[in-house]
Amino acid sequence: MAAARPLVTVQPLEADMATDSATTVHLPDVMKAPMRPDVVRFAHANLSKNKRQPYAVSKSAGHQTSAESWGTGRAVSRIPRVSGGGTHRAGQAAIGNMCRGGRMFAPTKIWRRWHRKVNVNLKRYAIVSAIAASAVPSLVLARGHRIESIPELPLVISDSAESVEKTSAALGVLKQIGAYSDAEKAKDSHAIRPGKGKMRNRRYINRKGPLIVYGTEGASLVKAFRNIPGVEIVNVERLNLLKLAPGGHLGRLVVWTKSAFEKLDSIYGSFEKPSEKKKGYVLPRAKMVNGDLSRIINSDEIQSVVRPIKKEVKRAPMKKNPLKNLNALLKLNPYAKTARRMALLAEAERVKSKEEKLERKRKPITKEEAAAIKAAGKSWYQTMISESDYAEFENFTKWLGVSQ
Amino acid sequence: MQHDEVIWQVIRHNHCSFMAKIETGKFCRNPYNVTGICNRSSCPLANSRYATIRDHDGVFYLYMKTIERAHMPNKLWERVKLPRNYEKALEIIDKHLMYWPKFLVHKTKQRLTKMTQMRIRMRKLALKTREKIMTTPRKEKKRESRREEKAEKAAALDKSIEKELLERLQQGVYGDIYNYPVKEYNKVLDIEEGQAVSEDEDEMEHEIEYVEGYDELEEEDDIEDFGDIAIAQSHANYDNDEEDIEPVASKRVRKETALASGKLDKGEPGAKLKKRARVLVEVEHEDADERQKAVH
Repeated sequence: MAAARPLVTVQPLEADMATDSATTVHLPDVMKAPMRPDVVRFAHANLSKNKRQPYAVSKSAGHQTSAESWGTGRAVSRIPRVSGGGTHRAGQAAIGNMCRGGRMFAPTKIWRRWHRKVNVNLKRYAIVSAIAASAVPSLVLARGHRIESIPELPLVISDSAESVEKTSAALGVLKQIGAYSDAEKAKDSHAIRPGKGKMRNRRYINRKGPLIVYGTEGASLVKAFRNIPGVEIVNVERLNLLKLAPGGHLGRLVVWTKSAFEKLDSIYGSFEKPSEKKKGYVLPRAKMVNGDLSRIINSDEIQSVVRPIKKEVKRAPMKKNPLKNLNALLKLNPYAKTARRMALLAEAERVKSKEEKLERKRKPITKEEAAAIKAAGKSWYQTMISESDYAEFENFTKWLGVSQ
Repeated sequence: MQHDEVIWQVIRHNHCSFMAKIETGKFCRNPYNVTGICNRSSCPLANSRYATIRDHDGVFYLYMKTIERAHMPNKLWERVKLPRNYEKALEIIDKHLMYWPKFLVHKTKQRLTKMTQMRIRMRKLALKTREKIMTTPRKEKKRESRREEKAEKAAALDKSIEKELLERLQQGVYGDIYNYPVKEYNKVLDIEEGQAVSEDEDEMEHEIEYVEGYDELEEEDDIEDFGDIAIAQSHANYDNDEEDIEPVASKRVRKETALASGKLDKGEPGAKLKKRARVLVEVEHEDADERQKAVH
């Protein structure tokens, strides 16, 4: 927000003297207020309920019969039926919401809460937002107004417009300031409303054109402009949110007269100075003074202290099962390598020796070996049958290992 | 006040009258949009520094807007005419958008390329003769067909054709064969039967003709002309009332034939129909019967 307040040129009209070149006015602080579409939408939704007229069905509708239920035992359903006889209506079901000619479910009542209360501060916030939005050409364009030929936004015209008396002159004023195409758009869009509204006294619809805001009470411009389709007139002291943000959408094209523009400062005050007309009211502050996030992030002050971007992202490695994967096992237990090697070698040894043994057994033995085995067997037998070992105690003691 | 980010938030999430959402994406109807897509970087409303190319009568202009002029919608867009030559135009774009963000420069050049191609194509097509697709106004077509039907019915084409052919027969355009096709022949005879019974009786007394069989089959257009001639003649000659209308069912055909041939003989000057009708005629009348009975 600039410290010096920017200037807005006042558009001269033809009737003015050409002497003062460009009168300028300071931009009031209202136009710098934060734009809060959510606040505006809430306030608009609730304020537009305040103009409603109650509707309801008749209190006695559906009950104007003396219907009694026939009870059980007559092979009919138990809803109340019309008493009497001699007419079609007798015996027909009545009163229930499912019955023909019965009262509706939950008959609408006039004591429904039609109007809504909106906090004063909220209402003011919404109006202030809407005024600020009307100063941003992009938002006015986005709302659909034709502003290609207006010289400046916010559009301020000289006070000579307030004394315009004829509608033709009013149209001329609009043409001079370039707002005529918007009014023309509104006139061309005059159409019959689709839907039942057309038979409920809301037959025609058209677009909204520019909103003219005037400053002095009783200006004749009201009468001059009020018959132009789409154009609305409002006094600056009685600004209406439903006119500043029609449909809850920000950015109506507003044409200010010079006196109205100058009054804005006193009506709404500034961010520090409270307003004169609204007791103790100070303009709301935005949560962020500079809302341009991308600009802030890319500014030098921040980029200089920001750490460089991490291009490579570290990802967690996949878990490997040590029982199946040898390298995973080795990471946990380095001795496993040698242990396993030893085991393998031992295994190989065992296998080899067994092989040899089997081979030797399977090979047919030579005559010398066979004779040797036989002789050994015989001698052992001899030792077994000799009795001398038993008789000689020394031999016996040898066996027993007894020491005397 | 005028922060692009704030504007974009308001426009995008609330309401922008230029946004057109269809199933394939979000598009921007703003005529100054470079790409045509509704995007944070291609929105001409949400970017205070923007450039596009627009064409006017086949001439391309480079439009630029800067934030200094953002509050004056009148003078917002600065316009530079681009030369016809594609390369020169690219150079001019480069010169004007020298320190601008790369995205905008790139998209502007892309747009220029596409528009140049379109321009070439359109010019080529304009030279060729193209079929123009006309819409068929359904209402008119239906109305015409309905009226056609009614006119057809009103015109009573059958009758006028009959009349015409009868006249032609009178004039001797056709030959002698009258009873083919059989159904129409019978029909006409049935019609004639009622009208010409008395006359028949009158005439047949003195005009009993025995003629040969079907030796020559001459082509006849329509037996109805034969029938019509009979009608015409009967209207002409016969003023009597229809007292004697007693359909003699069995011999009707032959009576009629004889009658017709007799009539024809009478009517025609005689050039072609000198030859009698090659039809076997057996004449029997109530009078004849009665006479016979009387005799008995």
